[in-house]
Amino acid sequence: MFLEIQNLKKSYFNGNIETKVLKDLNMSLDKGEIGVILGPSGSGKSTLMNIIGGIDRADGGSVKIDGADITKFNDSHLTNYRRDELGFIFQFYNLVPNLTVGENIEVVANISKSPISIDEVLKAVGILDKKHRFPRELSGGEQQRVSIARAIVKNPKLLLCDEVTGALDYTTSKEILKLIQQINAKYQTTILIITHNTAISAIANRVYWLREGQIVQEKINSEILPAERIEW
Amino acid sequence: MTLNKKIKRTILENKSPYIGSLVLIIISCTLYILLNMLSVNLSESVNSFERDYIQEDASFSTNVSLDNISELENKFNAKIEQGASFDYNISDSKTLRVFRVNEKVNLPAIIEGRAVQQGEVLLDPAFANANGYKIGDSLNIKNKPYKIAGFFSLPNYIYIIKSQSDLLSDANSFGIAMISKSDFDSYKSAKTFYSIKFNSDNQNVKTQSEAFRGELTKQGVAVTQWTDTANNNRVTLVTAKMEGIGKVSTLLPVVILLLTCVLTGIVILRMIKQDSVIIGTLYAQGYRKKEIINHYMRYPLVIAILGGVTGTIFGIITIRPMTAFMLQYFNIPLSNSVISPIQIIISLLLPVLFLMLSSLYILIKELRRSPVSLMRGDAKTGKVNFIERRVRLDKFKFKTKFKLREQFRSLSRLIFLLFGVILATMFLLLGFTAKSSMDYLMGENITNTLLFKYEYIYNTLHIDYPLEGTEAFSGSEFIMKKDSGDVAFTISGIQPDTQMIILKDKKGNVLNTNESIITQPLAEKLGIKEGGSFEAVNQVTSKTYKITVDKIANSYIGEYIFMPIDKFNSMVGYPEGSYIGLWSKQKLDIDEKYLYSVSSVDDTINNFKASMQPLQSALGVMGLLSFIIGLVVIHVVISLIIEENKPTISLMKVFGYRKKEINSLILNSPWIIIVLGYIIGIPLIMSLMDLAFKSAMQSIDIAFPIVIDYVYIIAGFVVIYATYELSKAMSKRKLNRIEMSEAIKAGKE
Repeated sequence: MFLEIQNLKKSYFNGNIETKVLKDLNMSLDKGEIGVILGPSGSGKSTLMNIIGGIDRADGGSVKIDGADITKFNDSHLTNYRRDELGFIFQFYNLVPNLTVGENIEVVANISKSPISIDEVLKAVGILDKKHRFPRELSGGEQQRVSIARAIVKNPKLLLCDEVTGALDYTTSKEILKLIQQINAKYQTTILIITHNTAISAIANRVYWLREGQIVQEKINSEILPAERIEW
Repeated sequence: MTLNKKIKRTILENKSPYIGSLVLIIISCTLYILLNMLSVNLSESVNSFERDYIQEDASFSTNVSLDNISELENKFNAKIEQGASFDYNISDSKTLRVFRVNEKVNLPAIIEGRAVQQGEVLLDPAFANANGYKIGDSLNIKNKPYKIAGFFSLPNYIYIIKSQSDLLSDANSFGIAMISKSDFDSYKSAKTFYSIKFNSDNQNVKTQSEAFRGELTKQGVAVTQWTDTANNNRVTLVTAKMEGIGKVSTLLPVVILLLTCVLTGIVILRMIKQDSVIIGTLYAQGYRKKEIINHYMRYPLVIAILGGVTGTIFGIITIRPMTAFMLQYFNIPLSNSVISPIQIIISLLLPVLFLMLSSLYILIKELRRSPVSLMRGDAKTGKVNFIERRVRLDKFKFKTKFKLREQFRSLSRLIFLLFGVILATMFLLLGFTAKSSMDYLMGENITNTLLFKYEYIYNTLHIDYPLEGTEAFSGSEFIMKKDSGDVAFTISGIQPDTQMIILKDKKGNVLNTNESIITQPLAEKLGIKEGGSFEAVNQVTSKTYKITVDKIANSYIGEYIFMPIDKFNSMVGYPEGSYIGLWSKQKLDIDEKYLYSVSSVDDTINNFKASMQPLQSALGVMGLLSFIIGLVVIHVVISLIIEENKPTISLMKVFGYRKKEINSLILNSPWIIIVLGYIIGIPLIMSLMDLAFKSAMQSIDIAFPIVIDYVYIIAGFVVIYATYELSKAMSKRKLNRIEMSEAIKAGKE
């Protein structure tokens, strides 16, 4: 397994009050697969994503990525992991507003060991012509494409997508999902999508249902639908 | 790093705080370089002038002419020269003190033109400039025409004041001139005196002076007047002013830099809060803390370098004209301008160091938060601080509550505004307080104390009946020996029933002149209380006397002890009934050759008023500086308030608030802090000036009461509040530009 999570625990404290967000969570994903985690608000999706992404720490359990348990990593190791192996795509894009599209991608390309050419990723996400525009001059869908291009420019082993279609309209959302499938096919990137939209599960190899910090259902899709065929 | 491309764009997108920081750094570095170099250049010029042109160690007068000067010179390894001068009134308001050319001591330094020959005259350049005299022009002195051969300086007249007790030089009404020996000797009425310079540097000047005076006494020569150069205000006022420049040359720029640090700190903190999602994202993409700190440190670095370089260049450019400006008041030949590379390096590094350290502190503190917390933008929600929580605002109207909360919300912003307004107030009131204090000193204090109009001091003691309508007084110069430096003062013997002086205590009660009365500044300097005694050494005879002080007079006319004339004469051994001078309400006709000095109270006051003119321009500069600092601080704070309240302002527009109402809520919120800052600034500047003057009193014989006229307090407030109103006007457009969509965007994010 490329991604293997065992007995993952995480709690938050508000004063003396403990809120258990993840309770002995287990899940896995093979290399090159697309995984979808479904769950309502407050189910622990984002916390899980943050721990896998190495920007938050677990209280217990293990998260193995390609055999290495990142919960044992110190801060410097975690930074190297994020730097070299991970791509992040966010719901609200999180682009640097006063850098152009090309420069936003360059920000990540600069710190990568072997980045893909910026023009190539821009071409791959279909916005090469927008390279010199600023984020505020783009539509939401275009900004999300920039965010995807920024995530894949370092050719990550694992791509984490946090509600990537959450801020987009129906048509644009489908285009973005199609793009994610294309990236998965082209670069063999393992992709984990977190969403509350059940329809998106159709494009995944594996689907996990998360509720109150636990995986309540797991499904391996025998047939994977292309993004343009899914409906919601 | 690509990320760094954002620096220029971020700065250009929201210029106000960066320009504010830049302006403050430029002011700070300009002042640092200018004041330091000015101090160094003036000190260097004064030192070389005093050395190269043989400045006297003391000047003195005797009851008889010295006919054994060579013998005395050999015995004391000194240069002694008899000098001579007379005052010539060019007009009622213009006096020229004409000197005979010296050959051994106090040599004239030719600043422009050439040495004086028969039929020629040298003038001090400030007097020539103020009165429109040029080289080659003709000038009549006592009905004899002289050709102006050049401009000159004298090492015992560096600061050209008519009387030792004058505070400020006024080139319009008083100047010095020098003519050849043969021309000078053609005038009969002239005052003579001696100048002495001891050649040995190893021995203490005071010890040598005492020995010299002892020798004169042994030879039967009475010294009627003795002034050490250390007590000559025409020299020491320059030293005091240079020390003053030296003292503020570091303090002032550092205070402004601290203000800049607070401003830059606020800007960086705000930027990190606004960029927190991006910072979290960068962390998520694998950026290290070091790389992020490295990026954000470039903002203060860019500002510090740009401001430091510009300010230092401005400073260097202004050194020469500023030195020339100062030389209008200090009559010295200017040696080559020195520009110290070390000071330039310090000036460049100081803002970098200050800004980098303060920004680094804030960055490290803020970036302690986890990437997840940063991405959530937790800090943006704005915690309620202790002031907001503690202060009960329920009873106030909505508008008042809103404005107060706006100020309490950001403590750093509040401190910056308060600190900035206090600083601007202090700059503004510095000049006003100086003017008020001098007006008080010269106006109320002198005219209410001195009832005579003219003071005539003879060369020698007189014992005959004083002229009609006059009042005789006696007196001599004394010192009190202190570890921190000798304190010089005058003990004056006055008529017990004097009609010429009124001395009052602090409560305003008239003091009995049958007692020994000390003036307030001297009492402070000597640390003497009523009923206290101390030992005083006569400067002429070097004899020591025990003085007991009965009362302290709340008078700032100078450093005096007054006692009944008979008591004084008996104490110092002067003949009974003798006197050294006369006070008169009318002008007297006494031949100048019998007089050591003549002074008119009205002239002193008028000269003072005239000499206050340069202070007006200094007041203008202070006011401008205060205006710039006030404008920068207030404008930056208002910009920050607008920036931080964009969503609220936008929401108000959505709700239907009118522009006027929004302006009132947002732009009027800092007024209370501005008023508070001004009120705090008043006692602060008065205490600071009191300290500064007390420090200055150590080197000069003049003391100031620190007062400020309420008119100036109101005027100062008007200036500060006008600055605020201007800043408000400048910010209105920015506020009106905020779109209603901001509220929607803010809700989404």
